[in-house]
Amino acid sequence: MSSVTLRDISVAFDGVPALADVSLSIEEGEFFTLVGPSGCGKTTTLRTVAGFESPDTGSVSIGGENVVGLPPEDRNVGIVFQNYALFPHMSVRENVAYGLRYRDPPGEVSTEQRVAELLDLVDMAGMGDRDPEALSGGQQQRIALARALAPGPDVLLLDEPLSALDARLRERLRVVIRDLQQDLGITTIYVTHDQAEALAISDRVAVIADGRVEQVGPPEAIYREPATRFVAEFVGDNNLFGGVVVSADPPRVGLDPGSDDAPGTTIPVDGVSGVGREVTLSIRPESVSIVGDAERQSTDLAGSITLQATVSTVEFMGDAYRVHCEWRGRELLAKIDADEPPSGAVTLSFDREDVTLLEEP
Amino acid sequence: MRTARWVERAALPAGFLATLVTLLGVFYYPVGTVLSESVREAGRFTLDPLLAVLTDPFYTGVAHHLFADPLGVPAGLLEWITAGFPPIAFGLFGFTAYQAALSTAASVLLGLPGAYVLARYEFRGRRTLRSLTIVPFVLPSIMVAVGFLAMFGRTGLLNDLLSVAGLGPVELTFTLQLIVLAHAFYNAPLVTRLVATAWESVDRRQVETARAMGASRLGAFRDVVLPALLPALLTASLLTFVFTFMSFPIVLALGGLDLATVEVWIYARVQALDLSEAATLATLETVLSLALTYLYLRYEARQRSASGAGQPLPRKSLAIGWDTLRSPVRLAIAGYGVVVAVVFVGPLLSLLIESVTTPDGTFTTAYYEFLLARQTSTAVGTTKPLPAIVNSLVYGAGTLLLAVPMGVVVAVVATRGGRGSRLAEALLTAPLAVSGIVVGLGLLQTFVFGTVLFGYRITAAGPVAIVFAHAAAAYPFVTRNVAPALGGLDSRFRDAARSLGASRLRALVEIELPLVATAVLAGAAFAFAISIGEFDSTVLLAEGVDSYTMPVALERYVGNRSLGPNLGPATAMGTVLLFITSLSFVAIDRLGGRWEP
Repeated sequence: MSSVTLRDISVAFDGVPALADVSLSIEEGEFFTLVGPSGCGKTTTLRTVAGFESPDTGSVSIGGENVVGLPPEDRNVGIVFQNYALFPHMSVRENVAYGLRYRDPPGEVSTEQRVAELLDLVDMAGMGDRDPEALSGGQQQRIALARALAPGPDVLLLDEPLSALDARLRERLRVVIRDLQQDLGITTIYVTHDQAEALAISDRVAVIADGRVEQVGPPEAIYREPATRFVAEFVGDNNLFGGVVVSADPPRVGLDPGSDDAPGTTIPVDGVSGVGREVTLSIRPESVSIVGDAERQSTDLAGSITLQATVSTVEFMGDAYRVHCEWRGRELLAKIDADEPPSGAVTLSFDREDVTLLEEP
Repeated sequence: MRTARWVERAALPAGFLATLVTLLGVFYYPVGTVLSESVREAGRFTLDPLLAVLTDPFYTGVAHHLFADPLGVPAGLLEWITAGFPPIAFGLFGFTAYQAALSTAASVLLGLPGAYVLARYEFRGRRTLRSLTIVPFVLPSIMVAVGFLAMFGRTGLLNDLLSVAGLGPVELTFTLQLIVLAHAFYNAPLVTRLVATAWESVDRRQVETARAMGASRLGAFRDVVLPALLPALLTASLLTFVFTFMSFPIVLALGGLDLATVEVWIYARVQALDLSEAATLATLETVLSLALTYLYLRYEARQRSASGAGQPLPRKSLAIGWDTLRSPVRLAIAGYGVVVAVVFVGPLLSLLIESVTTPDGTFTTAYYEFLLARQTSTAVGTTKPLPAIVNSLVYGAGTLLLAVPMGVVVAVVATRGGRGSRLAEALLTAPLAVSGIVVGLGLLQTFVFGTVLFGYRITAAGPVAIVFAHAAAAYPFVTRNVAPALGGLDSRFRDAARSLGASRLRALVEIELPLVATAVLAGAAFAFAISIGEFDSTVLLAEGVDSYTMPVALERYVGNRSLGPNLGPATAMGTVLLFITSLSFVAIDRLGGRWEP
């Protein structure tokens, strides 16, 4: 088990930058997830750790040793791909044993024992003689995991390992992977485009966009305190407001300029400064509630902010309603638990603590 | 352990380097020698030989004025126009281009309906028919020429049948028509194959969209299908033109010197030991074919993107019971089927029939006995069948030993992308653009006659030079089979193996090559077939020595009239050759071989 450190990694393909100054530090035994939209550079980051891409600048170290320039076969990493890449001309057993041709299994065990151990670990004992193509997607996934783990790698790299599976199996297998990782205590880097998956299984998450790291932190922090507009929009549903700081003491942000007849709407936001500065605020839909009808004015009562809005569309989600509302030409999303779908004019309310100030406008 | 790793890492670049050096030695150096000979006289650079050819009306016809007296061209043109456009001669080069153009037109005419039938109709044997379209590539062209003689020649099957019906003999031997027809035999299947592939890649939803927006059937065809077919048709036409421009055994056997093309004339010059004029002609021919090939590559590169994952157009049933007879299109297809049978099956069938029948139509084994007699003959210079067979097989095996590793290495480099793959592409295309005669001539002038390289005198015996020439011609077929298979292989197989500790070489040997084994074998079968059928360079290199192969023996038997005015011995030898090449084809087909240029 080893820590992994990337320092100022830049990678370009044919002059087009894929990664720009990416620095990440992954702790020993940590389950670390890279999440972002397709083409953001998360897979390139993983491939750089594995040694399939060589960075133009920067350093990669595994267990404190700089591995830049070391070919993949000389880095002790295990990798699982989205399509599993099981060798079709070999049996399940031969697949799992393949890495043991080149690396001794950890502990004083024979290749056969190690293979049996691993098949047992992924709950596939007795399947050794099968043809990998005869297995289901989920089974292939387990074999790929067993194959990657057999030589006792320092780091486990998982490149969208669940993307080829259907939703239910995906949710079940991610728990299997998480449990396995916990039992082995192996440093794991997991790549996914599915932010819900990232939040569900990781110790820490790095959100990547356009070849840059947007934010690194535990899932809760990523969700609750998005550092950038991108993170706020990419991770979960969110409402974003552009506004202007109207006063620093008390700190208030104006959401619309208002007119001569009606004063603009302003709300209190902790920590803003610099009057006249443009800021972006975010509020999660589940933090927005719909209260009984009230006067058509926004007020702040006991720390809670209310806005008068009109319901435009309602989606029934099973456990909740997603309510799309319109407020002064802007769309606002509320996720509410109710017996009946709301309609018409409503009052939206949320706590000032739930409003997050994003660093960039 | 460290050393082993180092060796493994160096193995692939070393293999590519070895391939480059081999190609340099057996292809570029000999061909380059031919080209440089033509612009050198007594060690000095000169354009005189080239100009001598270009200004000779025999070679360039009316175009010789362009080189001899360029300033007089406008006046000459005016004179020609005022004289009322009298007929003009185009010379050897003009005739070569003319027959290539006719052959291309005939190939398109014969091949296009086939593409339509294969792409748009469903019938029993469609897949077999489709895979049969690669057969011409493995049929030795001298054998096909003999097949055409056996069918259309003076004593051929056609005249035998006509005389039974009481009709006079038709004389087609040494006519341009027969050459063009034989060229169509080779290249129409190429047109069929390329155009059918393009037709099948048309997404039916595009056609349906066009129809839904109001296009008629014809309109949808014009707007959606035709634009997809034209590039393939043009590609096939360009290739056919290049191939038929350089065609040799067909023209030699069916036309002789009366209908000589540049290629045949080069051969005649070599036989007359006029090597310098041969080299000059070879240079001009190579420049022309390289230019055409460059055109083809430029064009092909632009249209490569159109690979559809869409749904192909649905196929109609070809046979629809008695209604088939009421469908004009289906009746026309049936008529086309008859033409195809005559052109494609006829010559091969005639070869078999003529090898066991006398000119008056009775069964005979005399021709096979003749072959046996030749075998036991003690006369010097006798062309014996058994050595020809043994030589062919030995050269075939030698070609495999050289061409398969070379082809695989080039395929690996070609699929890697980047500068190496462009180099590999260029390396692959060159043998396509240089005729076998030129390669043979080059090898003759360098290794066979002896050459001094880096202070060492190097001489290679005829057989070695023949294997070199065959390998240079055959390795692109290995690459063309292996590269798409390797390229289609998920790169993550390799990545997975490497992250598990395998070196690049190990991953190739243990994972990638086993997964493309059938493609390697198909490429090998192709290479073997190419070697067995190769005539152009072999006929030069086997001159006067006992290293003749089956195709060369066949050509010598064509000229042998000791059993009377018939093709008997040649057809018997041709049948033996047909049998052996059929085995190669069966191997290729079983292994799913492909040849998409």
